[in-house]
Amino acid sequence: MEKILTKKALPQWLIKLNAYQIYAPVKKENHWSYEALDKPESIRLDHLNTIQSPKMIIFPQREVFFEFHNAEGNTLVMKEPASESSATVIFGVRPCDAAGVTHQDKVFDGHFKDLYYWKRRNQTILVGLACNTPPSPHCFCLSVGGSPHSTAGFDILMTELEDSYYVESFSKKGDTLISLAGDIFSTPKENDKKDKEKAHSDSEKKLKRHIKDLETVPPKLKDMFDSPLWEEESLSCIQCGICTYLCPTCHCFDINDEKDSSSPLSGKRVRTWDNCQFPDFTMHSSGHNPRPDRASRLRQRIMHKFNYFVTNYKAYQCTGCGRCIDKCPVGIDIIEVLEKVRDYGK
Amino acid sequence: MTEEFEPKIVAFLCKWCSSAGSDLAGVSRMEYPSNVIPIQVLCSGSVSPLYILSAFNKGADGVLVSGCHPGDCHYIKGNYYSRRRIALLKELLNFIGLEPERFKMSWVSAAEGTKYTEVIKEFVDELKPLGAQTKLRRNG
Amino acid sequence: MVALEDLKQEAKNVLEGGTVKYIIGYKKPAVGFMAVPAFFHKPEDLDALVWDPTCVHNLVLFLKDEKKKKLGQKEPDERPVGIVVKGCDSRAVNVLLQENYIDRENVYILGVSCGKTGMVDLKKVRKYFKGKIISQIDFNENESFTVTTTEGKVEVPAADIFAVRCTECITASPVIHDVLLGGDSVRTPENPFGSLEEMESKSQGQKWDFWQEQLTKCIRCYACRSICPMCYCDECVVDTINFAVYPDTPAEEKAQKIKWVEKSPTTSENFIYHMVRAIHLAGRCVDCAECERACPMDIPLRFLNKKLEKESKKLFDYDVGYDTEIPSLISSFRDEDPEDFIR
Repeated sequence: MEKILTKKALPQWLIKLNAYQIYAPVKKENHWSYEALDKPESIRLDHLNTIQSPKMIIFPQREVFFEFHNAEGNTLVMKEPASESSATVIFGVRPCDAAGVTHQDKVFDGHFKDLYYWKRRNQTILVGLACNTPPSPHCFCLSVGGSPHSTAGFDILMTELEDSYYVESFSKKGDTLISLAGDIFSTPKENDKKDKEKAHSDSEKKLKRHIKDLETVPPKLKDMFDSPLWEEESLSCIQCGICTYLCPTCHCFDINDEKDSSSPLSGKRVRTWDNCQFPDFTMHSSGHNPRPDRASRLRQRIMHKFNYFVTNYKAYQCTGCGRCIDKCPVGIDIIEVLEKVRDYGK
Repeated sequence: MTEEFEPKIVAFLCKWCSSAGSDLAGVSRMEYPSNVIPIQVLCSGSVSPLYILSAFNKGADGVLVSGCHPGDCHYIKGNYYSRRRIALLKELLNFIGLEPERFKMSWVSAAEGTKYTEVIKEFVDELKPLGAQTKLRRNG
Repeated sequence: MVALEDLKQEAKNVLEGGTVKYIIGYKKPAVGFMAVPAFFHKPEDLDALVWDPTCVHNLVLFLKDEKKKKLGQKEPDERPVGIVVKGCDSRAVNVLLQENYIDRENVYILGVSCGKTGMVDLKKVRKYFKGKIISQIDFNENESFTVTTTEGKVEVPAADIFAVRCTECITASPVIHDVLLGGDSVRTPENPFGSLEEMESKSQGQKWDFWQEQLTKCIRCYACRSICPMCYCDECVVDTINFAVYPDTPAEEKAQKIKWVEKSPTTSENFIYHMVRAIHLAGRCVDCAECERACPMDIPLRFLNKKLEKESKKLFDYDVGYDTEIPSLISSFRDEDPEDFIR
């Protein structure tokens, strides 16, 4: 389904979607972040890259699996938490972040289906916004198989035109969203379509960063496990979790039992994000750590994204959003590292 | 009739003075509120700020650290170290907005059973109007 | 003002002569204008060395890695490491020396003075030059910076774009060094703790509301801990394995270890983490504000450390990072320490 929505009518559409929980980018003092939208009229879609991708909504950093307590007669009672999630619309999602969601889908839909993830995922509708200008100076989606107007993962993609949005729906969920406010949409004319296509092709030219010949990297990585390159490139790494926690594709997690403050006999089983850059991520209970240093952890990050994931799922586990480059406190640049891998030994 | 709020106090008492002082209050049959969960430590200087934060995290409405009077420390200077550390923690907790009344330090010697009961009585009286401590409490 | 050529020459001299094994300094990034830490192993690499108001990092942090690396080597190279150090960073070296974490002969300090200004704050720069592409920022002799954008050069008053901590700085040039470039620069800020005043004047409720909002944002990436030159503990209370485990540590012992802080980034757990960190840095923090700069969630972490710096000065007349011979703040006391808060 293809429609035209005037910019002025955007809040009206959102008002019609009041049955859904809506998340949208909100401007903070120094950054943008996805937040629950309570006032549809306050929506702004001129956002730069949000600090965290919509991963934080679909795969939240903390998730309670069940609660437990010791009842009378020393019996253990377990209870699933009341379902707090309702149908959710995430608005203004950038194509790289939606691509991140499709990568997460692959991981959580493998041999074991992650019910907790899918419960949320199936209730989520992604309404995207094509990037007419790159939302970050470090955007490089074109180099990793994406594009500023990619439709992967979207139910709806909007493209900003002069004073309207070109709205394309790719799923039944998307069609429903449009039909809820059918009268405010109009049918696109021939020149609207042309404008949209021009916006799309122009947007590709505006990307500043690229990696040439990235396809040569995965086969090359297979022989670089013991390369001294990792030590050189990781010299300034401080082993924080910024690059992985902000990444729209990183999905590692940990599961812990958290005791309530009041009693050791009750608590919750909780899933939280975990992170391959932390020294204790691979720590064995024997005290041995198979990834003992910065070099091996940086290697893991690059290998997972551009070697193992490519082998398993035929895609780079990177969508080119540029967050890890922009936010790294010591300036480690994944593009630079990949270029060094590509040119290594030449 | 509403039941009056009874604050829960975690008290870190040094083995040589304050804990002995509380024992004296006990064997002398002095009356004082039963809101205290005493934890005997070897010295007030051994109380890490982490213990105090953890007590608040696990649901304490007030935390008391009590040791020997200056000059009387069994380990010569443990209480002096404690005095400095606790002063800093007190300023920090005040800075982030925890009610300053919730965190107290006292010098109670082994002979001061009466003072111990007074300290506890005062503390309970100060905590009652504040209600439950939920700021630093897990799931609070 | 530091002449970059002089700095390069000094660095070259010690690296060529083999006085140092390598030099930790700054270089330009692949893209953008904020300098990044760089490790120079060969004299010819030093052409890439830079010194400008974007050299925000406290490189003393990397002495932690150097020490850990050396511990793992059988016959370590005992020569010192060359390191480019600003005024604030130099006090961090002093604290590490005071705590006997490093020895004086482990480091060769190339001291650089910030002169009349200091380091820029990237957030302020981005706001000031909204959307413009910056290629270079330079020091000036007066209290301003020269910023080069694609549209040409502009002179910007320092106050508009430099870091708050630099307005409160009292050590613009290094207090410990082997060579000093840019000369001694004495600064006497009117109010070295001015940024705290607004916060301190708030009511308890307002303070709590502020910190609750700020610390609830924390995603526990631990960038603040990792970038801090003072956070060098082998075991940290927040790590899932927060104690040393050896092959012969019995299972019961592992099971009985206390878990002080849960991994969940909930308000209560985030508070424990940040309070413990602040207290551990009392009398050790040199206000390089790297924690706040590194934080991806924009949490004003510097406030917590600055507050304790202020109280250490007020209550105990303790200055951080000037004298390596005195005992540290919390391993010492004076008879006259205040005790009016004790019953």
